[in-house]
Amino acid sequence: MKTMLCTAAAAGLMATTATAADKTLTISVYAFAQDEYKEALYDPFEEICGCDLVVETGNSVERMAKIEANAADPVIDVAVISAHDAYALSQKELLAQIDSTRLTSFGDLYPSAQDPLGDQTAVGYTFYASSIVYRSDLVKINSWADLLDEEVAGRVALPNITGTQGPLTLLMLSKALGHPEDFAQTITTVGEHADDIVTFYSRSSELAQLMNQQEVIAAPVGRFAWGSFKESGLPFAWAEPKEGQTGGMNVMVMTKGNGNEDLAYQFMDYWLSSEVQTRIAEAQIDSPANAKVVLSDEVAEGLTYGAELINSLNMISPQDIVAHRDAWVEQWNAEVIR
Amino acid sequence: MFSNRKEGLVLALPAAAFATLLFILPVAILLSEGFRPSATGWSLSGYVDFFSSGLNRTVFLRTLKLGALVAGTAAVIGYAAAFSIVSLPPKSRGRVFGLVILPLMISPVARTFAWIVILGRTGIVNSALVGLHLTDGPVRLLFTETAVFLGLLQLFLPLMIISLVSAMENIPRDVIPAARVLGASWIAVFFRVILPLTKEGLVIGGTLVFTGSLTAYITPAILGGSKVLMLETLLYQKVNVSNDFVAASIIAMILILMSFSANFLLKYIASGRR
Repeated sequence: MKTMLCTAAAAGLMATTATAADKTLTISVYAFAQDEYKEALYDPFEEICGCDLVVETGNSVERMAKIEANAADPVIDVAVISAHDAYALSQKELLAQIDSTRLTSFGDLYPSAQDPLGDQTAVGYTFYASSIVYRSDLVKINSWADLLDEEVAGRVALPNITGTQGPLTLLMLSKALGHPEDFAQTITTVGEHADDIVTFYSRSSELAQLMNQQEVIAAPVGRFAWGSFKESGLPFAWAEPKEGQTGGMNVMVMTKGNGNEDLAYQFMDYWLSSEVQTRIAEAQIDSPANAKVVLSDEVAEGLTYGAELINSLNMISPQDIVAHRDAWVEQWNAEVIR
Repeated sequence: MFSNRKEGLVLALPAAAFATLLFILPVAILLSEGFRPSATGWSLSGYVDFFSSGLNRTVFLRTLKLGALVAGTAAVIGYAAAFSIVSLPPKSRGRVFGLVILPLMISPVARTFAWIVILGRTGIVNSALVGLHLTDGPVRLLFTETAVFLGLLQLFLPLMIISLVSAMENIPRDVIPAARVLGASWIAVFFRVILPLTKEGLVIGGTLVFTGSLTAYITPAILGGSKVLMLETLLYQKVNVSNDFVAASIIAMILILMSFSANFLLKYIASGRR
């Protein structure tokens, strides 16, 4: 009898292990802060779902290419990407419609995060503000147009047009230069000032290094990179230009026909819950898209937090970015990079 | 060595199969992308499109120019260095040769970052320029062609010196004194004795330096950035930013062709000079 019980118990254990291994969710995420995500999100989720989480990382281009290449039989179940990259995938009909009734936290999200693409294929999970970081002891930045001013000539860097920050900078420069709709004219103006610009950076870490070496004293950057500036010992300040700050949103999407929808919804709902969004915010990884998250001033300092700030951000619609990006890049390469 | 040709071929088979399967075939597949810009079929339109862009033409010419400049400068400095190294007594020759090779043992990333320290606004060069009142303020050196040129020259100069030293070691000991005794100036000695006798070394060194400069990624990426794009940094952008494998494959093909052409050209020039 004893033996039989043992065998039954062992069989039971094996069965549990088998189920755990059977249930696998594959997610595709940005490569940064993976240790923090593991602690705040992946490990607790695996415990709750009794499943294995396979995490794939890489830059957006690689990850999008993978989703596209495996469209017929998706490898990735859930991906987090920028709103405009999501729109590009949605245009190629690679994304599943998200049934918001299966996300219990859906109603808690900021309205702009609920259906950012307008076709129910994406849900925003984080916002970021972008403004200008500058050396407060050397210069004062009051407007986006100050980036092209004589005072910072030869010591200013701009984001390259190919990254996410590039179009955002164009948006704000266009506004500051008095022709908000005309990016082409702004690119021409930047081209005329190309010799005054130290470089066009691709990654915020690259910019942080240049600013810490005092090569650059002012540059537009996303708030998510603020941490690498404020702790450097140099007097860096975050500008609040009169045209306002810009920003963007990252979204989660589900691939069409992945066959793993139940687990995907469970994971998305968990990530959007105020519990997880608070934990991720407190680890200073992502700013919350869940309006119910309450943060201390100290934690909020490094993030893009609060309805007032989020509603004030000047954003470009994902549709506009996807429709015009090729033309912007072409003109930028011809007139700015040369 | 072998009793018949067959044995030799059989022994070469594993290496040949390895190279074909794991190198030639993948490279051929990769390069063929450039001739298939659309799903419809083979065409050269990808190449036409590539060269119709002003930026691409500028990047191509800049890469060619910097490669040639680096190889040329390396040859001039390399000859002087190699000549003095072979003139040293054997014991100190080994030591100096070791110093030449030393930079090759340090990662290019570390070496390139050292240039940032040297060429930056607060770097050694600018501190000296300002300290000596040669300029009013710091000069911009980073993210210029000069920075990329210096970085590449420092990176590949040892290869030129090594090639030239081994070529010069093979020059019979008496030919230079003989030329001098017969009344040749040092310039004549160089062009009519040393150069013809070391041209093999110059071809090897020149090809290594030129090809190295074309295909270096880290140095142009760090010292030139997006303002001084080279073919290699453009290739990276095409793959990682625009996911444009057709353009990337075209750039790869251009780089391969440039390397081969440089080698043929140098060999041709060398064989013509007698």
